[in-house]
Amino acid sequence: MTAFTRRAAFALPAALALPALARAQGAAEITVHYAQPNIYKESYDAILAGFAKREPNIRVNFVTTPNYEEGAQLLLRQSATGQLPDLSYQGFNRLRIFAERGIAQDLAPLLKQEAADPATLGYSKNLLGLAQFGGMQAGLAYAASNPVCYYNADLVKRAGGDPENFPGDWDGVLALAAKIDALGDGIDGLWYTWNGDDWMFSALLFGHGGRMLNDDETDVAFAGPEGLASLTLLQRMVKQAGMPNLTAVAARQAFAAGKLGMIFQTTALVRGTAAGVGNNFALRTTGMPVIDPVKGRLPTGGAAGMLTAKDPAKRAAAMKFLRYSTGPEGQAMMVKASGYLPCNQIAIDDPQYLGAFYRENPLFVASVKQIPISVPWYAFPGTNSVRVTQTMVDNQARIVEGTATPEQAMADMASEVRRLLPRRS
Amino acid sequence: MSDMALPAAAGARAPLGEAFAAWMLSAPAILAYFLMLLLPTLATVALAFTDYELGADGLHWIGFENFAELLRDRAFATSLRNTLVYVGLVTPGSILGALALALLIEAGTRGRTFFRAVFFLPVVSLTVAMAAAWQYLLHPTIGPLNAMLHSIGAGQPEWLSSSSTVMLSLSAIGIWENLGFNLVLFLAGLTAIPRELYSAAEVDGARSAWERFRLVTWPMLGPTTLFVLTITMIRAVRVFDTVAVLTQGGPNKASQVLLYTMYEEGFTYFRLGYSAAITLVFLAIVLALMWLQTKVLDKRVHYV
Repeated sequence: MTAFTRRAAFALPAALALPALARAQGAAEITVHYAQPNIYKESYDAILAGFAKREPNIRVNFVTTPNYEEGAQLLLRQSATGQLPDLSYQGFNRLRIFAERGIAQDLAPLLKQEAADPATLGYSKNLLGLAQFGGMQAGLAYAASNPVCYYNADLVKRAGGDPENFPGDWDGVLALAAKIDALGDGIDGLWYTWNGDDWMFSALLFGHGGRMLNDDETDVAFAGPEGLASLTLLQRMVKQAGMPNLTAVAARQAFAAGKLGMIFQTTALVRGTAAGVGNNFALRTTGMPVIDPVKGRLPTGGAAGMLTAKDPAKRAAAMKFLRYSTGPEGQAMMVKASGYLPCNQIAIDDPQYLGAFYRENPLFVASVKQIPISVPWYAFPGTNSVRVTQTMVDNQARIVEGTATPEQAMADMASEVRRLLPRRS
Repeated sequence: MSDMALPAAAGARAPLGEAFAAWMLSAPAILAYFLMLLLPTLATVALAFTDYELGADGLHWIGFENFAELLRDRAFATSLRNTLVYVGLVTPGSILGALALALLIEAGTRGRTFFRAVFFLPVVSLTVAMAAAWQYLLHPTIGPLNAMLHSIGAGQPEWLSSSSTVMLSLSAIGIWENLGFNLVLFLAGLTAIPRELYSAAEVDGARSAWERFRLVTWPMLGPTTLFVLTITMIRAVRVFDTVAVLTQGGPNKASQVLLYTMYEEGFTYFRLGYSAAITLVFLAIVLALMWLQTKVLDKRVHYV
């Protein structure tokens, strides 16, 4: 045993710092942040393995946060202390905050350097639009989702419905749900994910052809007939189809236990739901009931990679990783490992990437069919953007609990959101 | 470190070396206290008077603007009221329950260790994990509780998702959480009561168990009860985990509590200045409770 001398004690911190010095002298090394490792880890690991073969001189370190919310906090905190990662994958609706605060960098010039028309790389106009905020290309879409309907084919059959011909409009869906609800034995007809954020409300609003704010984003635009019709539809789910008042977690548990006829939620949960259901019953998915066949649209959820590196070498390396992860190869890996929709037109169109996968996994197909009517998830301007979504959820709660009519809830929702919009002089 | 240590050391009567050694030995604790407790608290106080937002470029001194907004904010009023309801239900529930159980366990002859361990389990278990278990127990359609209610033909409340029952459900979980901790404190208090007092009371004519409790146990438990009361109230004001996991303040703010509102303002809406103002309100409540214990009530409950 050697005695621990004072000199040795002083030398210890220096010794601990040595590996950091060694690392800094190597080839380019970048830090990449992403959220929800429980959903995404496999896909990023697969992409990193492919990327390492192509770019052996770039070392990638992953940093993760359990969810998008904490991911946004991490980046905002680190931007205050100057410790930003080089690349970060954030939820679509949070990108606007980073664009408006000057943390995300404009990717349009970088894409132009590579190809005069980004569409030749697979970045079609629609796909680029998913991550355009604050007047710039704030990110490149990595994973996309849209809302779909999951249903229990066994319960549909028991209630006298035909699982092969699931109703395509809300009148039919509500009638079928009411029949399932009447089966008794603690079985409920349907559940609509109204209470997480504004995403599923915007599915109803966009479905009616409505929109959140007006063109110059100075006033609400959802308070018109489309918005009222959306809230009325929510009320009909409760009154006609007996939609229970559940938290999202409780509703998913009830569905997996075979006690819920249908559940409307993001396609990103297909993999998890299928695992939870197992062999309890025959699980099916189908597109959202169509509200307005011409003007109707659906919101797109998911994540986009945004570039935050300032050092030119790291910036170039981070851009290479972002390009690989959103390119056709990376996107094919992402889809297979997560269940999200691809965000590269080449991966979508060329059957060599995902054709076989979709043939073997029909549960994923419902969302693919909805790609043509998918529009970006609307993010509100200004510092209150996230609070606006909570205001909408709170007012929908009043409808689900039966304490307000759609008219009352809509009036309050409009006036409360107006107060939260940035004031323009 | 040294400039803190030297002036104090110079004034001491003990040999200089000894005083220096004392300061050096307590330096890590003092340093940690300054860095980990005092500085962050002062920084929070300072932040409460600014409009700082996470990720924003700068901040402005806005005086009492945040506090003025607190008074106007309906959401804050709701969360304050809900917190009071929670404290008002959890404190008496968990104290009276713990006292009754402690008397039963103390009076019993067998299985004391077993019962003590059983009721203490909630305290050592992870609240977040336990919340998941409660989520299942209280599930409106597949939960065992509602299945039981169904079998006796009673209604099946939506425990955690209806605004009329959500605070009741959270309070019940809170009582379950705090009961074991209070129980152990009461058991310790009970064993400290001298047996002779009971014999003396019996000689003096206190025959019934209730008389013995009223005349001996309850007064002698005074200091313990006071401590339990304060610590339970502080623990109840601190409620956060169950709300964050089970209800996220919903539906329509029916389960917003003080700390969850603070978290939401600061880390969901990124308004750190406003969030710091809420933290100060929380700090004031906790300090008031501690002051109540040390200054007002402490004098009245010590007999010996």
